[in-house]
Amino acid sequence: MLISYNWLRELTGTILSPLELRERLTMVGLAIDAVEEKESDAVLDVEIPSNRPDCLSHVGIAREVAVVVSGKLRPPSGKPARSEGRSTDLTSVEIRDPDLCPRYAARLVRGVRISPSPAWLAKRLEEIGQRPINNVADITNYVLHELGQPLHAFDLAKLGGQRIVVRRATAGEKLKTLDGVERTLGANMLVIADAERPVALAGIMGGEDSEISIQTTEVLIESAYFNPDSVRQTARKLGMDTEASRRFERGADCENVLRAQNRCVELICEIAGGVATEDAIDVYPSPLPARSISFRPCRVDSLTSLRVAETEMKRILTGLGIAHTEESSAVWKCVPPSWRIDIEREEDLVEEIARHFGYDKIGSELPPSNQSGEHQPKELKIRKLRRTLQALGLDEAINFSFIELAPDNQLELIPEFHAQDPEHAFVTLKNPIIEHQGRMRPTLIPGLLNSLRHNLNHGIRSVRLFETGRIFAESDSGELPKEREALALIATGGALEANRAQAPRETDFYDLKGSLEAAVAAMNRASLRFTKAHVKHLREGQSARILLADGTPLGSLGTLGERISDAYKLRQLVYVAELDLSRLLDVEELPVQYKPLPRYPSVVRDLTILVDRQITLGELLHTIEGRQVDDCRGAQLVGTYEGANIPEDRRAITLRIEYRSDERTLLNEEIEDRHRGLIDSLLRQYSAQLH
Amino acid sequence: MAESQSQEDPTTQVEAASKAFEHEFERFARFTDPSAAVQGLTLDWAESEQHALAQLRTRHLGKKSALAICKKSIGRVAPEGRAAFGQLVQRREAEIISAIEQAETKLKSHIQSARIQRESIDVSLPGRRPRSGHLHPITLLRERLEDIFVALGYAIEDDREIETDFYNFDALNIPQNHPARASQDTFYTTNGLALRSQTSTVQIHAMQRRGAPVRMIAPGRVFRRDTPDPTHNPMFFQVEGLCVDRGITMAHLKGTVAELLRRMFGSRTVTRFRPSYFPFTEPSAEFDFSCFKCGGSGCRICKNSGWIELGGSGMVHPHVLRAAGVDFDEFSGFAFGFGIDRMVGLMYELDDIRLLFENDVRFLEQFD
Repeated sequence: MLISYNWLRELTGTILSPLELRERLTMVGLAIDAVEEKESDAVLDVEIPSNRPDCLSHVGIAREVAVVVSGKLRPPSGKPARSEGRSTDLTSVEIRDPDLCPRYAARLVRGVRISPSPAWLAKRLEEIGQRPINNVADITNYVLHELGQPLHAFDLAKLGGQRIVVRRATAGEKLKTLDGVERTLGANMLVIADAERPVALAGIMGGEDSEISIQTTEVLIESAYFNPDSVRQTARKLGMDTEASRRFERGADCENVLRAQNRCVELICEIAGGVATEDAIDVYPSPLPARSISFRPCRVDSLTSLRVAETEMKRILTGLGIAHTEESSAVWKCVPPSWRIDIEREEDLVEEIARHFGYDKIGSELPPSNQSGEHQPKELKIRKLRRTLQALGLDEAINFSFIELAPDNQLELIPEFHAQDPEHAFVTLKNPIIEHQGRMRPTLIPGLLNSLRHNLNHGIRSVRLFETGRIFAESDSGELPKEREALALIATGGALEANRAQAPRETDFYDLKGSLEAAVAAMNRASLRFTKAHVKHLREGQSARILLADGTPLGSLGTLGERISDAYKLRQLVYVAELDLSRLLDVEELPVQYKPLPRYPSVVRDLTILVDRQITLGELLHTIEGRQVDDCRGAQLVGTYEGANIPEDRRAITLRIEYRSDERTLLNEEIEDRHRGLIDSLLRQYSAQLH
Repeated sequence: MAESQSQEDPTTQVEAASKAFEHEFERFARFTDPSAAVQGLTLDWAESEQHALAQLRTRHLGKKSALAICKKSIGRVAPEGRAAFGQLVQRREAEIISAIEQAETKLKSHIQSARIQRESIDVSLPGRRPRSGHLHPITLLRERLEDIFVALGYAIEDDREIETDFYNFDALNIPQNHPARASQDTFYTTNGLALRSQTSTVQIHAMQRRGAPVRMIAPGRVFRRDTPDPTHNPMFFQVEGLCVDRGITMAHLKGTVAELLRRMFGSRTVTRFRPSYFPFTEPSAEFDFSCFKCGGSGCRICKNSGWIELGGSGMVHPHVLRAAGVDFDEFSGFAFGFGIDRMVGLMYELDDIRLLFENDVRFLEQFD
């Protein structure tokens, strides 16, 4: 809010400079964003906290300044020079909906002459960013900025029946507001009406029909208190935001109604001439009760550690208009003023004293600690995962948690999210901010594909990314949505090496698989298993299901399918993996345990067999393990070959088999015998040939 | 020829053998001068010369060499001349050995240095390793913050991102009509749940679970309906801290935040607390810290004020403690919160925080 420095000086007599005021007010909680030096004034842009509507005026700020400088507020007067006649003889006020309008006061000034405002008034309004209109309208605006009470002036002659009715609108009722817009009202909107029709939107804006014009001679000054929620809802619905609505919706001062009206009437009589009625019609059926708060002065110390003398506490409370009486030395009874709607509890009073005594006087110390810190249980594992993937050349991505609605059905989700009813499987936003991005991501893949697209668009064709983050799905049982941590990896382009312009080869499926395996190993989890599988978004024949060692499915890995590649306009091979990280982290860590070193030498035999291309290495290894050949310690891949000199439907696999006994050195004949047995069974089982 | 030779006088034969050697050795003569450099001799050629020299040695000193045969024919020398003959043979043999060895030594050292030359490598070529990846700057900062607070005795907590109104608003003492609850500011699901707009939600869960006393921070994602622009994102990361114990005061709040900011921005960092308003704390304060760039004299980063605004804080509101089941007559506590993204933005002087979620490799590469 813009505040005139000169105006503040008139109200407080402060000798602080604008820049000093900026510093002092900022330190009592009224942050000043900017000070604009004008020709003969300075304008302060004050940021008013949302709980301090009392500061939305010059008197409100002046009150704080007076406490800051230990001075006194000099409030403006409010007594018209001449008054004559009773308002009740000339008009009437009826409140039909007191729940939305607890108080309404009307007073008349007759015989005014509408003209432009005098220069001092116009200038003062212009300095704080207000546009002068005419003397009467400007005076209501001036008093609003002076005392914080929104006022409205009606042309009495234009009010049907010359009376005021405060009521809810009937649905569909129309009102043309001062901004020239014809508005259709709802049944819960409060209006000021005359005998026939609405003439103003209560607390928001007047109507054009009853506006002050050059012909106006009799004005009705409205000063009222409207229900904050009602004003807020109506203003939101109609998309309006005015000086008046801003104050009413945050909470005006119900006891300021007559004072502001007096001040307004005084100024009208002084500037526009005319004679005021002697009294106001003040309809205030049930006055709001004052709040009384028990305050223990010792709480200031116990909450803030500030030692504040009681005289200083009393000075601050008095300066802020907070009445206080000592019930005992330990407990005071405090009654906050009507304008301080934010003060409800003892802690609020502690803050008032602390902020005016000075937060800067509060000491600074670490609390004594008898607790030890702890990371989240899985954090250190996830850090290892991240560091491993990083070392293998993947960059960490973070994407928004919301994605477009479209690609859902093209992607297979982690097993936990497989839903019976895909229609209602996803969490959808009611009010997305980015167009179309209304889905809480059930998978990290779309985000990573977009990141990939972004990089490709910028000419970077070799990209490897990983992301860990929350994914979401509706729960089947109507509970809160499921949230799980997922891990996704994506890679495309060359297998880049450090400090080299060109990758020695293209990245492929096994790079991504290897990265994933390394990350899992770094977390000391049992190796994952990979089985050939059909996965919706992956290329047939190049896709795998990821399983835990015990066979629990965890996610998928493979070459991105053509349909989805096309959808993201990706014209090169992309490899992608996603798994349920929450589930993986639940798996127990492998125990690290010492095994005695072998006492007898081992012998290895290489074996190359020609098998059908459909036979996987996994099957072969599984078979070898299952055979439980004596002293066979396992088999490892040496290499595979397919191509020239081999039938198209076959490939050669070379394995290295290790034989070793813990009891003795094996004899050559024994090894030959066992190896031969193993070979024969493999050849038989897989219709294979030695190569 | 052999016949005629054998008929010759042995002495003459020795001299002939010596002559023959000298003749053959001529091509190796350049290797015998220790001071002469061997110019223009490639490694391959030097090696074949070495081989030829070895053959020369066999031919002239081997068992079947002319000189060896001469030695055997000593019987044909008159007894009185045998001593002189023996000396002659030895002398000639020594001359030959010496010549060959000189040449051999020189050749060998030439070959050695030529081989070193040829096999030398460019040690400035890059080492062989995959291009290293990079962690996201938000992760890097978040880990640092977590480590600092673990060291200060705090537990790290997290909880749901999609929340009920109770945890996102009610328990935090946010009034029913507060603008933050409006669908203009907060994301809602079609089922009426909120995307958490601050990680204070985690404080409630943690207090309910752990009871008091408690010390925790909650780093995590939060959501607010801001249209993306250079200074806003609809999703960002936040840290909320909470310390509830007997006798906790604002001095502890100030001490803790000041300690954090010194650890993040350097030991000379000064922290300032300004009164402010938050529904979940009372008294409330915003905190600023002295600009780490200019030290407080004013620069672009602090917008010439010398101070950088960072976050909000205060003493936990009794309503919040009550909602979390903590006895607020016995316990008091402080809470604070700030944006990790904002801190990233400040530390690395980002001019557009939308970069944080574009995952442009050229951006990510800059952090480690």
